[in-house]
Amino acid sequence: MKESERHTPITDLLLAQRTHNRILSIGTSAPRVDAYDKVTGRVEYASDYYGNNVVWAGVKRAGVPHARLKTIDSSRAEKHPGFICVLTHENVSGTNRQGVVKKDQPVLVDDKVRYCGDAIALVLAENKTALKESLDLITLDFISLPPVLDVEKAMESGSPLVHDNNSDGNILLKGELRIGLGSAAEEECDFLVEACFETQRQEHAYLETEAGWAYMDEDGRLVIVCSTQTPFRDRMEVAESLGLDTGRVRIIAPYTGGAFGGKDGVTLQSFLGLAALNTKGRPVKMCWDREESFLAGTKRHPARMYYRLGAKKDGSLHCLDVRLYLDTGPYDHLGGVVLAQALEHAGGPYRIPNVVLRGWCVYTNNPIGGAFRGFGVTQVTAAIEQIMDMLADRMDMDPLELRLKNALKRGDKNCVGKTLVSSTGMIDCLEILSKHSVWTERETWKRSGVPFRQRGVGLAAVMQGLGYGPVVPDYANAKVELTSEGNIRVYCGVVDMGQGNDTANLQIVSHILGQNPDRIELVQPDTDRTLPSGSASASRCTYTFGNALIGAATTLMDRILKRAADFMMAARNEELVLVPGGVRCLLTGHEIPLSKIAKLLSHDERVATHHFRAPVATEVITTDQNLRLHGLPHTIFSYAAHLACVEVDELTGKVEIKRYLAVSDCGKVLNPQIFEQQIHGGIAQGIGYALSEDLEVLEGRMLNSNLSTYLLPTAEDVPEIYSVAVEIYEPTGPFGLKGVGEISTNGPLPAVSNAVADACGIRVHQSPLTPERVLGAILKNRGRGEHVEDHV
Amino acid sequence: MREVFLPQRTEELWEILKREPETEIYAGGTDLLVKMRSGHVNPPSLVCLERIESLRGVFDKGKEVFIGACSTHSNLLEDPVIRKEFPGLTRGIDVLGSPPIRHMGTIGGNIVTASPAGDTLPSLYVLDAEVEVHSKAQKRRLPLRDFILGPGMVALHPQEVLWGIWLKKQPSWNVHHYEKVGRRKALACSIASMAALLELSESGTVVKARLAWGSVGPTILSFSHVDNNLIGQLLSIETLSSLAKQVELSVSPIDDLRASAEYRRTVSGLLLLRLLYYSPSFRQECDS
Amino acid sequence: MSTLRITFRLNRKEIQIEAAPDRRVSDVLREDLGLTGTKESCGAGDCGACTILVDGESRLSCLMLAAQIQGHEITTIEGLAKDQRVHLLQKTFVEHGAIQCGFCTPGIVLASLDLLKRNPNPTRAQIREGLVGNLCRCTGYQKIVDAVQAAAVSVQEEESL
Repeated sequence: MKESERHTPITDLLLAQRTHNRILSIGTSAPRVDAYDKVTGRVEYASDYYGNNVVWAGVKRAGVPHARLKTIDSSRAEKHPGFICVLTHENVSGTNRQGVVKKDQPVLVDDKVRYCGDAIALVLAENKTALKESLDLITLDFISLPPVLDVEKAMESGSPLVHDNNSDGNILLKGELRIGLGSAAEEECDFLVEACFETQRQEHAYLETEAGWAYMDEDGRLVIVCSTQTPFRDRMEVAESLGLDTGRVRIIAPYTGGAFGGKDGVTLQSFLGLAALNTKGRPVKMCWDREESFLAGTKRHPARMYYRLGAKKDGSLHCLDVRLYLDTGPYDHLGGVVLAQALEHAGGPYRIPNVVLRGWCVYTNNPIGGAFRGFGVTQVTAAIEQIMDMLADRMDMDPLELRLKNALKRGDKNCVGKTLVSSTGMIDCLEILSKHSVWTERETWKRSGVPFRQRGVGLAAVMQGLGYGPVVPDYANAKVELTSEGNIRVYCGVVDMGQGNDTANLQIVSHILGQNPDRIELVQPDTDRTLPSGSASASRCTYTFGNALIGAATTLMDRILKRAADFMMAARNEELVLVPGGVRCLLTGHEIPLSKIAKLLSHDERVATHHFRAPVATEVITTDQNLRLHGLPHTIFSYAAHLACVEVDELTGKVEIKRYLAVSDCGKVLNPQIFEQQIHGGIAQGIGYALSEDLEVLEGRMLNSNLSTYLLPTAEDVPEIYSVAVEIYEPTGPFGLKGVGEISTNGPLPAVSNAVADACGIRVHQSPLTPERVLGAILKNRGRGEHVEDHV
Repeated sequence: MREVFLPQRTEELWEILKREPETEIYAGGTDLLVKMRSGHVNPPSLVCLERIESLRGVFDKGKEVFIGACSTHSNLLEDPVIRKEFPGLTRGIDVLGSPPIRHMGTIGGNIVTASPAGDTLPSLYVLDAEVEVHSKAQKRRLPLRDFILGPGMVALHPQEVLWGIWLKKQPSWNVHHYEKVGRRKALACSIASMAALLELSESGTVVKARLAWGSVGPTILSFSHVDNNLIGQLLSIETLSSLAKQVELSVSPIDDLRASAEYRRTVSGLLLLRLLYYSPSFRQECDS
Repeated sequence: MSTLRITFRLNRKEIQIEAAPDRRVSDVLREDLGLTGTKESCGAGDCGACTILVDGESRLSCLMLAAQIQGHEITTIEGLAKDQRVHLLQKTFVEHGAIQCGFCTPGIVLASLDLLKRNPNPTRAQIREGLVGNLCRCTGYQKIVDAVQAAAVSVQEEESL
């Protein structure tokens, strides 16, 4: 084919991309609205601004896990020709404290260092090279303190304290829940299994590292453009910590190059703000390199989980005892919320009448534990789903049967005693899985392996709560405008970090207002222009904002039709309909363009807003107000059943996932292609969590902080994924949908572990399942004296 | 700011090397530039070899093949002579890095970097590769196993450049094997690897054998006692299992971030069992 | 020491720049020439986000120095569209949902272009093998493979007409 013939006219592409000649429908795979700009390299991410006369800012970080800061010596740096200035906590006028629940993290350290990534000083320089060289020329002097490194040791009396003023030693949050007889019911069980599982620290590793730029505008207001999931909350945190009036700070959030929870909260915003206040009017830019992103950013909490699960001989689960420890690092950073969500999901999607759950979220001097897709559910799912298989094995019961027998149905109470009032598709997912060819053909598939490569299959049943729990409001404010030209402008409140909610917003508005996409403009989150709508997290982006958007678009539609009805002398709104570009009277056929209607409405009338607050649980399942505040319980849950088909190489311990099936209940699907994108992406991250990703920390120091030693799955590490959506209508969701952002991340680790157990009869209780751990378990299981030939 | 010299003729190269004793030489840059970024090396200037034509190419000289040191990995993957004569080496290059890294990285670079985990190295060892080293004054040729001295150390004197690799064609050998173990399927540093060159008779008896292991010692390791113990044997589980134990005792791996010494030791032996795939009787058994 | 005058072709246009000889090509493109479509994500050759084409071959611009590009033809993502027409691969990426956050997209599209030039009719496994140098954290790769396969099929169909 000639080079020229490989090109497609741009009009064709716009057609495909925005289907500009027809209204978008709910339930169709409208191509993503941002795709064209991304595939041509035109989107400007926060790191893409280079500007004029830009100052480069960078952070000098501690490099030690626990210490008192003695001196900062910048005398050598000051001699560097490109050096501008160095700022410390003394230059911070506000509280110098950040955090979502508990504000315990300094912008710049003023008392002591609590982890290697703690920020000590902010350096401003003329260019990137001068910045790096200046940072290297700054020396820090510390008095080392004994570090707190292990969660259980951190709770012993006499342990050094991470925060001297913390009310409960090194415990950030603890919780205890008891249902029924608690562990006294163990006596009534016919089968009891016990296990400890340890899951690792996982790095978000978004491709776009933390970046942004800032400047003071002509009105003296601080403007920050940054890669973030939380522009409105950031604004508050920056204002408080730097001592500014919230109204004097503006945060703009462009498309983000991935976040997954790692940009939920302040990362570099306060540094940018502090720098911009000190550059005498010049814009400032900051971009973390990969190593700094590893060092300073938050991680998935590593967990140690002690489980005891008991059942009756008829297969019904009878009691559960869980002790759960999360290493939250030195700062709150949503750690308590992760613990609460972990406790809530610790029993999985099952009916268990007698439960005792105890959890501790513990401060250490290790890297900061924070929000990461799955948010505590990923850890406990790994435990409950593995111990379920261990129980099935002990009872000689099929693992799918055991799950079907105990799976939650609507109206049941879950393991924390919460009645499931919303759509509950767990059994539907398991039933559909049981009929899928990947499951029905599993025995044939298992027998067709090659020598030394054993095949096995493993299940996982998953649930994930949506939103923030009963106390912290999960709200959104949508704003939709009929512009004076007669177009539609949607003020998107929740950041699109790759999950595609911009396109969902476009679909909703196009559908309600009956307009083609080429007449609809999206405004990205901007604290000056869009309205507070909460974080891009917790699987609530499209659920909560979508509901608000339906309200705003419907309000605007009513106003347009009412005014048009008056103008066209129609008796009622119902005689009129919005069509692309205008309003048509169905009785007379008369049509007027939207541009004309826009002139008939005042500016205020042309802008419709709607506030939506997500429903919360009515039941109070704990009297612990602190635990309630941290999110217990949720009320809307998504469900899924996963199946992993693996091959284990008995010569090397390598595990290869050959096929993967995910059957998911996330309500009605608004856009099947975007739905699949989320399922695939979550599974890929889960596969990394299962097999290759491990952020190793020794004595508080990271051992592998780059992408050659921290191993993300490549295109050859993720198999073909079969995804099926079980579309159970959720009445409270916009067009019946629920959250899909997180749930699929929770399946791979337990499904793969269960598959490895099926293949080789061994279980590795620590993740990831590296070749070394798997081979070690295989050889130990055989006893080294046995011969390999017995197992070919 | 550093000068970056890109000589096009060898005379230029010798002049620059004489003038810039502290310079560092690179071809693809996939090793050196990474080391510079992390601060491990900080040369005052750089010499890039990519424009010197005589440093590239694959030359079939009849009984031997000469590979220019700056031939990129993808040049070699696409070369019909390399693919036909040296399938084990081809396999090693196939699992090295990623496509863009293979477009930039060179076989010479892989040799001079002399990582114990270098993906081309085990195959080059079993092929009894020789290297040709040039300086302004002379050319010399020596076995690869004498050229690589230790991790990151090669027998290059100042102002000498690795010019190319000589490989003898090995038509009687009928098994050219390479396996790399990494912690993910691709783009992973090898944690254990094994190359094997075997001549099997029709019945599956080993007539000749050469094996070599990577990532289990300071350089590529091979053991004549292991090679010799295979001769005259049928490839069977018993033979290979017992040899595996000998190999475990002979290798000298270390603990590092990617794997423990114990794992490397165990796997270096177990990898021998993969050779069963080449045994006609084993294959027959499996098919039935 | 002074900067180097470098003449090369960028997206089919001849240009001349002044740059430090050891300046990274990714910095030349992004900062000096304003072509921010080429991304930096690791700076060490581990992720592929900085992939460009040099004389049609995929290379990592974070591991290339300015002095090296003299006389070569460089293609960045901004150069794929020609005369207001986009490349078939860009179209299939959009249609098949192969783009989420979009940060890996420029690099992986160019890597795909190189792959299809070398192997115009790849299997799905060969596509995956050809893209191992480009990490994606959002998509799980499947729809990217769909998009590359669709572009290959499309070319095959046209050629058989």
